[in-house]
Order: sequence, then structure tokens, then C-alpha cells
Amino acid sequence: MRNSIAKRAAAIGWPILVTVLILLAWEISVRALGIRSIILPPPSAVFAAMAERHDLLLTHLWPSLYLTVLGFALSVVGGIFVAVLITYSEIVRKGFYPVIVVSQVIPKISIAPLFIVWFGTGTLSSLLLAFLVAFFPMTINAAMGFESIDEDIHRMARTFMGSRWQIFWKIRMPNALPYIFGGMKISITLAIIGVIVSEFVASQEGIGYLIKLAGGLLDTPLMLAAITALSVSGLALYAIIAGVESWAVYWQPPSDAVGAGGG
Amino acid sequence: MRADSAVQQSDGMRPAAGRGRGGAIVRIAGVKKAFGEVEAIRQLSFEVADGEFLSLLGPSGCGKSTLLMMIAGLIDPTAGEIRIKDAKVAGPRREVGVVFQSPVLLPWRTVLQNVLFPIELLKLPRRQYEPRAMDLLRMAKIDEFSGLLPRQLSGGMRQRVAICRALVHDPSILLMDEPFSALDAITRDEMAVELQRIWQANRKTVIFVTHSIREAAFLSDRVLVMARRPATIIDELPIDLPRPRAIAVTEDEVFNRLVRHLRNAIEASHAE
Repeated sequence: MRNSIAKRAAAIGWPILVTVLILLAWEISVRALGIRSIILPPPSAVFAAMAERHDLLLTHLWPSLYLTVLGFALSVVGGIFVAVLITYSEIVRKGFYPVIVVSQVIPKISIAPLFIVWFGTGTLSSLLLAFLVAFFPMTINAAMGFESIDEDIHRMARTFMGSRWQIFWKIRMPNALPYIFGGMKISITLAIIGVIVSEFVASQEGIGYLIKLAGGLLDTPLMLAAITALSVSGLALYAIIAGVESWAVYWQPPSDAVGAGGG
Repeated sequence: MRADSAVQQSDGMRPAAGRGRGGAIVRIAGVKKAFGEVEAIRQLSFEVADGEFLSLLGPSGCGKSTLLMMIAGLIDPTAGEIRIKDAKVAGPRREVGVVFQSPVLLPWRTVLQNVLFPIELLKLPRRQYEPRAMDLLRMAKIDEFSGLLPRQLSGGMRQRVAICRALVHDPSILLMDEPFSALDAITRDEMAVELQRIWQANRKTVIFVTHSIREAAFLSDRVLVMARRPATIIDELPIDLPRPRAIAVTEDEVFNRLVRHLRNAIEASHAE
């Protein structure tokens, strides 16, 4: 027991230590080399900008996060729904599933300008782009989860005269949960990217807009402050999903929850 | 497609069938199975008496598992018919419990929840069957683990859970498809003794598929020896050793004569 706590502490402690060392090296080298703040501000200047302009940052952060979470939620619901169709409809499985898999190759971000043309420069474009990029990994993961039942488990359920409905809720769904959470972790990251890119292309608010604006004003500390705020938010969203996962998928040993580092 | 045809004979908590030998409860008549061009099973006919422990012994891939799956109603025979209590098997039936080669437990369910899984699927009252599930776990000596998840158990214990699960809805027939083949030799001997004890306490009809000659001789009232490709029955051997049999019986001369007889039968079929 004590051993596992020590392991966990080490798993969190080492990355933090490395991060601190990198920030230190950054701070020291920027000062020593006399690099101008426009090119690369030291971490202290970035944190100062975050503290000073937190109102501005939050004003732009909220709409982006809101759209991210909404687009992500839609992709989870939509992805699971389509995955169910893939599992139970031969037409969808044979016809659409390969198309969905192959369409993974398309860099969906490149569709952003087209979305602006169709849906305008408002929030709808951002939301739909977030949904679109997050939808595919969600669908594919959920479909894999529904399909990857051991043939023997299926047989076992049939010998006890389990109906399709029972087999779905009592076997396929719990079996797919780890896959669904795996998909969610990919999708939340992609949803953020979708929103930010859409805000880059055309928007009057949002953290993506702020980053672009700060770039245009050569306000590099503000730009890095916005990027930091965005990264921390992304990390928090990811952590929330990972937390819910370890609660919901209680039957899996927590070995990979901390990361592969512990050995 | 499944439920209607399969439940016709279910009559709830049936009183235990007559101890010892009753009439035939399972009848296999002229059963054939072909997968496309490949003939897996050729013209099998035999009967299993109520309360009998019957082993189907044969080399791997001789079609004995296929036969068991047909009795379980999971596969249809190409020709011939299988009857359980005079009703033709057309799908899975309530009075049959199956134990597979691997325990196939649901990893997200505790031991007790796994044992009660058939009760849920069959929509039987859970409260009524929970004491029975606990009794079975006690009999299998794993009741203290009822709240654990499958991954916290050893292979032998998992297979015990699977046996309890197959018995929980009180089926009259237990089908076992090489249930101990994934276990180590020592655990295997232990499990054979345990299974005999459970069987003696419940007196189900058991059809036990195995490729272990010793296991078949130790457990059975009667052994059917099957040859491979296409599967046919080449020998039948009653085992009249007194019960309960201890593992020490396997060192007796009588036991070893039976084992030798079975081995010769299998080897003769290879020589052809």
C-alpha cells in the first residue's frame, strides 16, 4: 500500500520537477542572452501578464471552453449513437464504417474556412468544427468497444437465453466503456483544437481570437499567457475525464492510470 | 427466435429428479454436422440417463465440443435430432447450464453478481435466488470471495465461479466443455475432486467433454470414446468405481486397467 503511494508520488513528482527545471532554464537563458520580450518573454513575464490581464483572459477563455465542452458532448452522444448503428446494422457497418475510417485521413481542420462560408463567423462554425473533429475518434473507439466482445461471453449469454437488448446493456455497453473513455480523451483534445482553429480563421471572441490578436499587436507575453491558460484548461478537462474513467471503469487495474512511467 | 422455442419445458423450481439412474433425459439420434464440405460429425446416436455423469473423450478437434454446443442449442445439427426430456432442441434451453473452456466471467461484476447473471437474463426473482447462489459458492468453497472481482481470483477459483453460475438457475443438465483444460495439473486434480463432490450433492446430469483420459475415468459413470474426423463413437466404457472417489484411486490397478483400455481404444482409432 505504502509502496503504491510512493510510486504514485514519484509518477507525479518527476514530471513536475522536469517542468520546473525547463522553466528555470528558460528564465535564466532569456535573461543571460538578453533576448527581447517581443521574441521570447521569460516565464516570469508570462505569469505577470496572466495575473495582470486575467479579466481579459477569462472573458475570452469562457466562450472557447463552453464551445469545446458542448462540441465534445455532442460528439460523444453522436459517436456512441453511430457506433450502435455500426454494431447492429450491416448496411452501416459495411457501407459507412469504411468511409468513416478512411475519412480519418482528411485533415478536418482544413474544412474550417468552408464552415465559415456555410455557417458564418459566429459560434456555430466553431461548435460544428469542434464536433466534427471530435466525432470520428469517438465513433471508431465506441464501435471497437461494442464489437470486441469475446465470442465465448456471447455464447455464454446465449445459453442463458439473453436477448439482444440484455446483451447490449449488460455486456456490450460495460465492455465498451474503457474504449469510450479512450475515445473521449482523444476527442476532448481535438475539440479544443477545432474551436481554436475556427477562432483563428474568423471570430470576434474566444481564446483563439485573443492569441491571434496578441500576435498582431506583437504582445508576446499576452500571447503566451493566453496559450498557457488554454493549455491548463485543456489539461483540466482531460483530468476530469480521466478521473471519471477511473471511477466508472473500476474493474481495470489502475496500472496505466498514472502512466507508463512507473514500470 | 430463441426464447419461445426454448422455454416451453421450463417448469420453475423443479423437485430434484430421481436419484441415481432414471430414464434417458438426453437423446441424440442420428446427429450429423457438416461445415460446408467438411464433415465434422457422422451419425452419432446415444442416450444419457437422468443423473448420469457421462464423459465424451477424444483428441482435440474431434468434434466433441461441436456436439456439446449442439446439445446446448447454440448450433443446429445438419441432420438428425437432439431431444431433452422428449422436447426437440431448437435453441438454448432453461434446463441446461453450460461451463466453457475458459471461465468467461464478466470482469466488471463481482463473484456473486457473476453467479446471478443467468438469473437476470432469465428474468427470475433475484432475491429468491441470492441465497441459492451463496449456497453454491459455499459448496464450491469460494463464498468468502463473493464480493471480489474476477481479476482478483486465481484460474481455478474463476472456473469454480463459472460452475456455480451454470448451476444457479437449477438446470437439470450440466454441459461442460473441457472446463479444466486451462488449469495446471495440480489444480486440475483438485477441481476434479471438487466437481465430483458438487455433482454428488446436486445429482445433475452431466455431459463432460475432455481430452484427458484420467479425468474422464476418474469422474464418469460412463465414458464414450470418440474418434476424429468425422467424429464417431468408437468405444463405450462404464466406470463402476465406488463413490466418492479420492484422487488416490488413480493409483489403483482397477483404475489403471480402465485408463489403459481407454488409451488403447484411442490409439486403435489413430492406427486406422
